[in-house]
Amino acid sequence: MTLSVETQRDIAELRGEPAASPGRRTKAGHLWSTRSISLGTIALFFIAWTLVAYFRLVSPVFLPSPLAVLWKFYTVATSGFVDATLWQHLSASLLRVFAALFFSLLVAIPVGIAIGISRIGRGIFDPILEFLRPIPPLAYLPLVIIWFGIGEPSKILVIAIAMLAPIAISTASGVRGVSHDRINAAKTLGASNIQLVLNVILPSATPSILTGLRIALGTGWTTLVAAELVAATRGLGFMIQSAAQFLVTDVVIMGIFTIAIIAFILEVGLRRLERWLVPWSGRE
Amino acid sequence: MPHLAVEDISVYYPGQQRPALTRASTYVKSGEFVVLVGRSGCGKTTLLNVVAGLLKPTDGRVRIDGETITGPSADRALVFQNDALFPWLNARENVAFALKLRGVSRKDRGEMADRLLGLVKLDGFGDKQIWQLSGGMRQRVGLARALAAQPAFLLMDEPLGALDALTRERMQTLLLDIWAQSKVGALMVTHGIDEALLLATRIVVLAPGPGRIIREIETGFGRRYVEGETVRSIKADPAFALARADIEDSIFEGETV
Repeated sequence: MTLSVETQRDIAELRGEPAASPGRRTKAGHLWSTRSISLGTIALFFIAWTLVAYFRLVSPVFLPSPLAVLWKFYTVATSGFVDATLWQHLSASLLRVFAALFFSLLVAIPVGIAIGISRIGRGIFDPILEFLRPIPPLAYLPLVIIWFGIGEPSKILVIAIAMLAPIAISTASGVRGVSHDRINAAKTLGASNIQLVLNVILPSATPSILTGLRIALGTGWTTLVAAELVAATRGLGFMIQSAAQFLVTDVVIMGIFTIAIIAFILEVGLRRLERWLVPWSGRE
Repeated sequence: MPHLAVEDISVYYPGQQRPALTRASTYVKSGEFVVLVGRSGCGKTTLLNVVAGLLKPTDGRVRIDGETITGPSADRALVFQNDALFPWLNARENVAFALKLRGVSRKDRGEMADRLLGLVKLDGFGDKQIWQLSGGMRQRVGLARALAAQPAFLLMDEPLGALDALTRERMQTLLLDIWAQSKVGALMVTHGIDEALLLATRIVVLAPGPGRIIREIETGFGRRYVEGETVRSIKADPAFALARADIEDSIFEGETV
């Protein structure tokens, strides 16, 4: 929510308008800024939830109160749920996602570059990616388990496969979009093909690669729950799944919020990373 | 003294009936400043790209001291209309990149890059990011980067085309100063006849349909600037206006405007 507000503010700043501040009348003449409307929506949601829970319109077994969920954050964080604390579940999940991201980057960036710079590369990898891209991870999860067992590598592999296509495709489109002048300039300065890839094409494609990374993290994070359904003993997906089996709804909701909060933090982190790595993007 | 010979160059772009360039022959010697002028579609940029080695001609060859070129190389560094700088590097690093490709050791690069930036009157701008620089400054960084390659021939594709008139005038004299100091052979494409006259030692006029070289004219206005005369007095010389009319006649020959 806040992120979309940020985008709008960026656009307003590009137009030379100052950022809207909540409460006051904005430059465009609106009484409410978009940010305050969003905050209002969130507040309304929590008030409605609290009222429904308070008047027991729905049984607490199905819809615990916000306070009960908040309390669960505390108890699971301190004493744990299904043999692990919230932090242990969380770190198990994060470790899987980031391990998968690491391996996926290792494969997908070179593949993307190959697709982007060479006809042969495109011929080889395009069909593979187009085959993998539309398949939901849950569909190939059983096959991965048959081949690689139920251990940690299988979970990481499933997430990594899900991340492969978005990173490779973004990398390829970034590589194809590199300005010809830039490549030709490097060539007439005497750059070899390898120098061209490392010093010109790769940096030029970085904004695009980061976009792919952002999509991949989203995909990875959603695949996580699926990957943790099978024979995991730790992880947010596993925690939610086991809580659901025992109808511990407050833990389910708490888990969902944890996933949402982490996704939000990752998104903000990626924006930071973008600003730090490619401050030039969009300013040329 | 390196000698670049353009021999019978023809270029057909795929899918097009008429050649973009047909049987073009000329040459550039070190210490010369050759300017290609002509209407759009006359193949001047095509010819420059062939000389740079970025475009393979359908026919003919480019030779440097008798050796046929096979592709782009640092002895023919190219300056672009849109600087083509690397925005992830600052001004100094952009210049140093060309030094790195030339094999200059890491510890010497910074100092040499700063000296080259000084040559294009950008002392103290080394740490600036590319997007913080104006169009004229960026073009000068591009020039410094091309010079860093120590080319025997400096190729320029409408390098001042995107600049405003005042900046362009200052860049023209800067180009002359640098050309006079470095002794490179310069080959430049422009659509400004005044610019061509002021800079060139020889003007090559091209005509479209099919693109071809129709005339070569030796001029000496640039040399007069290098020898100390001001641009103002050169341009005030009636000979300048006569030469301009002459070239315009060649360019627009056969046109009923």
